[in-house]
Order: sequence, then C-alpha cells, then structure tokens
Amino acid sequence: MAAPCSKIVSRPWWQFIKNVGWTGLNQTVVRQLSRNNACGAAAQTKSKTERIPSQWKLHGAVCLQRLPVISQERNPIEDQFAELIHQMELERSLVSEHELRLLEDAERVRRKQAEDYDSDEEAEYGDQETITALDQEDAWEQKLKKFQLAPRVSDLEDDHQSVGRCLGDSLVLLTEETLGQEKVWLLPQVPWQAGETLRQTAERALNSLPEADFKATFLGSAPCGVYRYKLPKAVRTESCQGAKVFFFKALLSGHPPPSQNGPFRWVKKSELPDYLKPAYLEKVNRFILDL
Amino acid sequence: MNPIFRKLQASFILHSRALDQAALLLRASVSVQLIQGPLTFANERQYRTMPTHGIGRYKHLIPKEAPKKKKERLQMKPIKMATDTEYGTLNVKVSGYDMILVEHYSQYIHNLCNRLGVKVAESYALPTKTMEVVVMAEQGTKMYIDAILKTHERIVQLSQLNATLCPIFMEVFLKNQPEGVQLSVKQHTEAGYLDRFKARPELAGLMAQKLLKGKALPS
Repeated sequence: MAAPCSKIVSRPWWQFIKNVGWTGLNQTVVRQLSRNNACGAAAQTKSKTERIPSQWKLHGAVCLQRLPVISQERNPIEDQFAELIHQMELERSLVSEHELRLLEDAERVRRKQAEDYDSDEEAEYGDQETITALDQEDAWEQKLKKFQLAPRVSDLEDDHQSVGRCLGDSLVLLTEETLGQEKVWLLPQVPWQAGETLRQTAERALNSLPEADFKATFLGSAPCGVYRYKLPKAVRTESCQGAKVFFFKALLSGHPPPSQNGPFRWVKKSELPDYLKPAYLEKVNRFILDL
Repeated sequence: MNPIFRKLQASFILHSRALDQAALLLRASVSVQLIQGPLTFANERQYRTMPTHGIGRYKHLIPKEAPKKKKERLQMKPIKMATDTEYGTLNVKVSGYDMILVEHYSQYIHNLCNRLGVKVAESYALPTKTMEVVVMAEQGTKMYIDAILKTHERIVQLSQLNATLCPIFMEVFLKNQPEGVQLSVKQHTEAGYLDRFKARPELAGLMAQKLLKGKALPS
C-alpha cells in the first residue's frame, strides 16, 4: 500500500518543484516525507482493520453458458435479401468447368444423332469417356438423397431441462436453492472460504452441483458481475449484514450428458425474467450477452 | 557669399566625384552581374539571342541527396513475445472448407477489433491446402476421385489485446462462429511467419547440392 501512495504523493511534488523552483523546498520536502509516513501508517491501520471480519458474506457464483451450436434463423428481410443477392451473383457469374463439360457432352450427343455423322472426324476424341457429366450428376444426387440432415429444431424446444434445446441461442444454467424459507432460482453459487481465490470458489460451485459433471472453461480470472444482497432486518445480525455474490463466466466444453436430473434449467436470456427475481435479474442481465 | 559659394562648390565637386566613383562601381558590378548571370560557375558565354537561358535552374543550389538504395530483401519484423504482464502478438486463425464463410468471418473479426480498439497488426491469408478424396471401386483396382476438398485459412494478427477485454472478446467470437468454420488463437512465432512463403524446391535442391559440395571438398 505504501508504494502506490508515494506515487500519488510524489506527482504533485514534482509539479510543485517545477512551479516554485528549488528555493525554500526543504520545508516542503520534509512535509512530503511526513505525509508519506502518514500514508504508510494509514495503510497499516487499514490492513489491521481488515482482519476484523467484514459484515458481508462473500459468495462465488458461476454463469455457465452453452454456446449456440448452429446459426440463428434468418429474418424475412434477410431471407429476401439473401435470395436477391444469390440471383444476382448467379446471373453475373461465368460458366464453371462442370457446366462446360455438360455443354460439350450435349453438343457431342447432338452431333452423333445428326445424319451425316462420321466418328473418324471427331477431333479430340481421345479415350471414350464412359462416365459423362450427366451420369456424374445423377450419382451425386443419389448420394445426397441417402444423406440425412439433422433437424434444426428438435423436440426438446420446450423442455427447459435439456441442453439440446434452442440450438441457435446460447443458454445459461440455473439451479434452485432454498434461501431462508423460500425456494429461489439462481446461478449456482457457493460461499467463499478463507484462503482461496474467488475464481476457485466459482469452480467449486460448478463441481459441487449434484448429479451432473459439467466440463467448463472459465473465461478470465476477473469476475464479470456483482450482486449485493441485504438481509431483511429481522435476520440481520451484527456480524452478517448481507451477502455479496461475485459472478464468473464459463463456457461449457465437450458434450454434456444428455439428460440431467435435478433442479437444473437451461434458459435463454429472454426467458430469464420468468425465473429470477427483479433485483437479481437486473444485475445478471448486464453481463449475459445476447449477441 | 564667396567663401560660402566656394565651400558649396567644393562640396559639390566632392559629392560629384563620389557620385562618379559610385556610378562607376555600380556600372561595373551591374555589368559583372550581367556577364555572370545564371551561369555562376560554368564560365560559359551567354548568347545574345538567349539572355534568359537556364533562368529556372535551382537544383545546383540545394544540397545533394544520397543516391537511392536498391530495394532491400524483405526482413521479418521483430515479433513481440508474451511476458508475464502482456499478451504479445496473437494469431487468430480461421479455417474451413467454405471460402465465403471463412472470409466473411475473418472480416467480421477484423471489424470487431477495429470497433473495440484492439490494434490489428496484419491480416493475411495462408496458402490453400487441397485434399483429394479418392475412392477405390469395390470390384477392381481402379481408384477414381470422389471429391476435392480445399481448406482455406485466414489469419488476423492482433498486437495489443487488453486482458480485461479478452474474455468478452472471446465470448463474442465464439457465439458468432458459423458452422463449418474452426477458430484458433495462438501466439505468433517465426515458424508462423515462414509458413506464408511458398516452398521453392529448386532452391532447396541447389542449397543441398552446395552443402554436399562444401562437405566433399575439404575431405
């Protein structure tokens, strides 16, 4: 604490010297030094006061997100524009190799069917191509019919418990906990223990979720949000005024187990107001991105 | 009156003599200037028909520039390595089979960096890698080409990335990643720089020969 204190103090000192000059500085030097000492003393007393436990309980919470798997559906305007651009590009484009082959084959067939056809006259015949371009196209179409595309919209749309719902949006994990007398939906949180960093608390919160192991990568060691909760006056004691919850962001990595039992919900940002309390929601909405 | 007049006359005479001398000097200097004119050190005679020849010359008056050097061989810019406090130069590599998606995504990343104030050092493409999928017919030994897959790669090089901005940045990237496009963020190394160049087999052959000759001679 002493080091930054001296920096803040020494900057105006240098400016003072530039303005006033070197005369009569002894007094100021002494004064600055004494101020430094005062700063140091203040810092020491501060650290001593920190030893006394604060009246706020600290919690670490994790905001686990499942990234969108596929791109979002297009708006009607976007659809129209995409079609228009596709049409324009098609009309402006040049003929590709495959299309050239098709044209040549068609020409050859026409020449063959003409009455005065002489096979010896056929220039650039080379080896008789057994597979024409049309045959290849047929073969490709057959292959495409055999290939099954996975459906974009699955049956699990309304099942808030499954991870496979709403593949185009990012989902956030919520758990239900009992605080006091009521059951509340929140982001998984765990109280902070002395000696560990808040990020470790958040990791512990994730690991301690019952009946589900989620593999997640945490984004950065800095919390992305804070929520301050004051206990109602009836429950407030001298040592505990309330709780402060620090949120950390994490992304779900790997494939989660298909169905999880337990009080979990995977919700989109637009569905959060149905689950969370208004004050809590306000703070949480600030860091959940809907881009 | 007389002495006054005499004094006046004397002064007038003196003045006139001074004036005459001055006039002589002036005429001389003017004539000298006329002779020298624009050709100060060439000592050439001026033609009566071209009195203003070389009137606009000035290059001989300004200091001489050093001769322009030939274009130097392309050197690698020094790469900023990561320290404990800074990220260093990062390469965001976007790769995939569909060139349109890959290019659009790399453009999106570049624009996002410009908006957020992250400095983009370079933005380039690596050579395309072509992969031929060859299928062997079930009955017979003939193999025929089934498909040609081309992998396109684009790199956006970031030089100053804030650690506070990094998590939000990565989240936005990952949320907007299109299907079929892979994203990877790595540190920039010299090997990464050399990847941009095409392989020159003839040069490699010649260098190998030179090495062999060099080894053979002393022995």
